[in-house]
Amino acid sequence: MRKVGVVGIGHTKFGNLSDYELVDIMAYASLNAMEDAGIDGGIDQVMVGNMGAGMLNHQTGIESALVSTLNLEPAMAELVSNGPASGSSAFKMGYMAIVSGMADVVLVTAGEQMRRITGWEATDFVATLSHPEVEYPYGLTLPAFAAMFTRAYMAKYGLTERQLSLISVKDHLNAEKNPFAHVQLPVTMEGIADSSHASVVNSYVSEPLRLYHMCPVSDGAASVVMCAMDGAARFKKKPVRIAGIGSATDTHCVHNRKDPLDLKAVRLAAETAYKMAGIGPKDISFAELHDAFVILELCLAEEVGFFKKGKAIEAIEKGETEVSGRLPINPSGGLKAKGHPVGATGISQIYELVKQLRGEAEKGRQVKNPKYGLAVNFGGFGNNVVATILAKE
Amino acid sequence: MNIAYELEMKLRPPQKEMLPYPPKFITLASGEKMVIRQVKREEIPLLLEVIEPLIKIEKDFYDIVAARFYAELLGFFRYRVRDEYCLVGTIDGVVTSICNGRLVNDDLGMSYHTMTIKRGLRCGAQMFAAKMEYHIEILNQKEVFIVAESPIGFRRWMIEYQLVPRFHVQHELGGVPTYILTRDLYFAAKERLVTGTRPVPKGLLETSDTLILPEEYPQIPGWRR
Amino acid sequence: MYKIDKNVYAYRCPKCGQLHYPAPMRCKKCGYRRYPEQEIEPNFQKEGYKPWEKTPLKGSCKLLTYTRLWNLPIGFDQRYLDFGLVEFENGIRASGRLLVDKPKIGMKLNVRVEKIKEFYGKVCYGLQFVKP
Ligand SMILES: [Zn+2]
Repeated sequence: MRKVGVVGIGHTKFGNLSDYELVDIMAYASLNAMEDAGIDGGIDQVMVGNMGAGMLNHQTGIESALVSTLNLEPAMAELVSNGPASGSSAFKMGYMAIVSGMADVVLVTAGEQMRRITGWEATDFVATLSHPEVEYPYGLTLPAFAAMFTRAYMAKYGLTERQLSLISVKDHLNAEKNPFAHVQLPVTMEGIADSSHASVVNSYVSEPLRLYHMCPVSDGAASVVMCAMDGAARFKKKPVRIAGIGSATDTHCVHNRKDPLDLKAVRLAAETAYKMAGIGPKDISFAELHDAFVILELCLAEEVGFFKKGKAIEAIEKGETEVSGRLPINPSGGLKAKGHPVGATGISQIYELVKQLRGEAEKGRQVKNPKYGLAVNFGGFGNNVVATILAKE
Repeated sequence: MNIAYELEMKLRPPQKEMLPYPPKFITLASGEKMVIRQVKREEIPLLLEVIEPLIKIEKDFYDIVAARFYAELLGFFRYRVRDEYCLVGTIDGVVTSICNGRLVNDDLGMSYHTMTIKRGLRCGAQMFAAKMEYHIEILNQKEVFIVAESPIGFRRWMIEYQLVPRFHVQHELGGVPTYILTRDLYFAAKERLVTGTRPVPKGLLETSDTLILPEEYPQIPGWRR
Repeated sequence: MYKIDKNVYAYRCPKCGQLHYPAPMRCKKCGYRRYPEQEIEPNFQKEGYKPWEKTPLKGSCKLLTYTRLWNLPIGFDQRYLDFGLVEFENGIRASGRLLVDKPKIGMKLNVRVEKIKEFYGKVCYGLQFVKP
């Protein structure tokens, strides 16, 4: 099988970019990635990751629009959609295009623009991922599913709301040093958990999850250039190798899972990626995990084999997941603080893996001498998950 | 006494004695302490400077809120609005957010505007809550008339407090549909939405004595004072 | 989505008896197909085809987890709504509205079907979980 690597990365600021056109935001990230790779053309295939342009921007065919504004015609172009895991799925498709021999150089760009509508409408937009008959009409949202999951997890393992806040504090601290992060503002345990004002300042969104336990609604885009490793020498920078990719699905309806706390698709996706990479969880130097809700950072870390079930919080309390810790998690600030433009998140995670493996991360959040990075991108409430492992060559 | 002064005194509205808003502080998510206190008339020119850069920012309806807020405070400063008040939220003296309103009579309050400079810490929500606290708990009023001029405002006030529509009454801000906060609604929402500690420790209160202009505005990227 | 007969149904596979909610297009246990109730292709009633049996979701159930959601999506004007995930005695699980004062994981509940949403004048019925 052909080996594939990443040779260029680009990212926009995450936050409120509603003054710009979605395709322009994506083009900006794409050009940054191409510049980083040292090319201004020669792209065989463009893969675009996006969840909701049709609904949010009332625009379809963004893959063709992007190719055109980038002057990349007649490159092949496709749109890949997999909810909040659209980015990683587009990355996977790009990888497959090169492995198959249909392309040698692929540009994968993912973006989303959620701030042109109100938060109220954005909540509804994301909720359309749920079952249209037995979930959505009730007013159930992704935060509600995450909250019910959290409640069951707390009942089983004794986790507390205060412990969840520890994850938020760590993520905000990392995001403060990430120039692309949506929220560059540290939060403290006093502010979000311990002060007598905390229950108002950090009010419930969906009990037991509070405002600072959840990601903000963001706009943004990220992009990578990938190529066949045998042709990587002509690019400006050394490639970062794609060591393993895995993805898996689970029941659409959350209630149909045998164990409501079992995130089977996460486990299966990670197992497939480990197998392809020929490594195991203990070989991973750091990870970007899909913490749209901080509970997911905890549970994803357990499902991918870093910790036993119910035990991840102990490692977090000991500081093991901080940038300077044994196994840094979300050195970018995670979805929690870096932001979550849904379709863009997967590529943003890959961007962070490459940056860290190259040793290019900003001061104070560079992981020490990493070998392997793992990203988990979580679609739906765990019904379509992609895991990616990148390796330093 | 000259004639101009006499005429000026004829133009000025009578002012009601208003119980002052007792200062409080709130620990924000960042751990920073925001002092909320009442603004003195002589501080208004500085607040006008705080508002001015936002008057032409269309995004999130800052233009409407800023232009109107500016006019309301100018009217307050130059004695052209009756029984108006303004509250300010500061962190280390820097103005983070402001809100204002006025008394129609002893029982009825008229909420004007709430504006946040510093974002991401829900300062605006705390200022609006402080304003409602002033009307209902301090001034002991029965009702407050409220309008929203942006979708964010609608969510924050109408939905958050479950305000009741009373579209046939006229709010002073023009034609936007009027909603009402009653005492019952306020006390039902209080536990979730209103917080703060009194009295403010002396040293902390003193940080708010001299208001400081914000250096930059997240709403205007790249702008610096 | 808009149920006129005010019932919410589970579907039983006529071949192996497996219950499903919501209705699948094939049995998750034995793979037996379910054809739509209305004809969508000519001669869809294959020879020997047995229709799936509809069973209303009713009776008592157990609360598995729950939440109070304060940020509702557009279309809902309530300040908050309570939701629960339950398991019925026949093993079927479902999400729905929760209408109890002090919910507790493991508590016994009853189900009823009531209006959950009005959407442009159309009434939408769904599951509500209440004290027995
Ligand atoms: Zn069957």
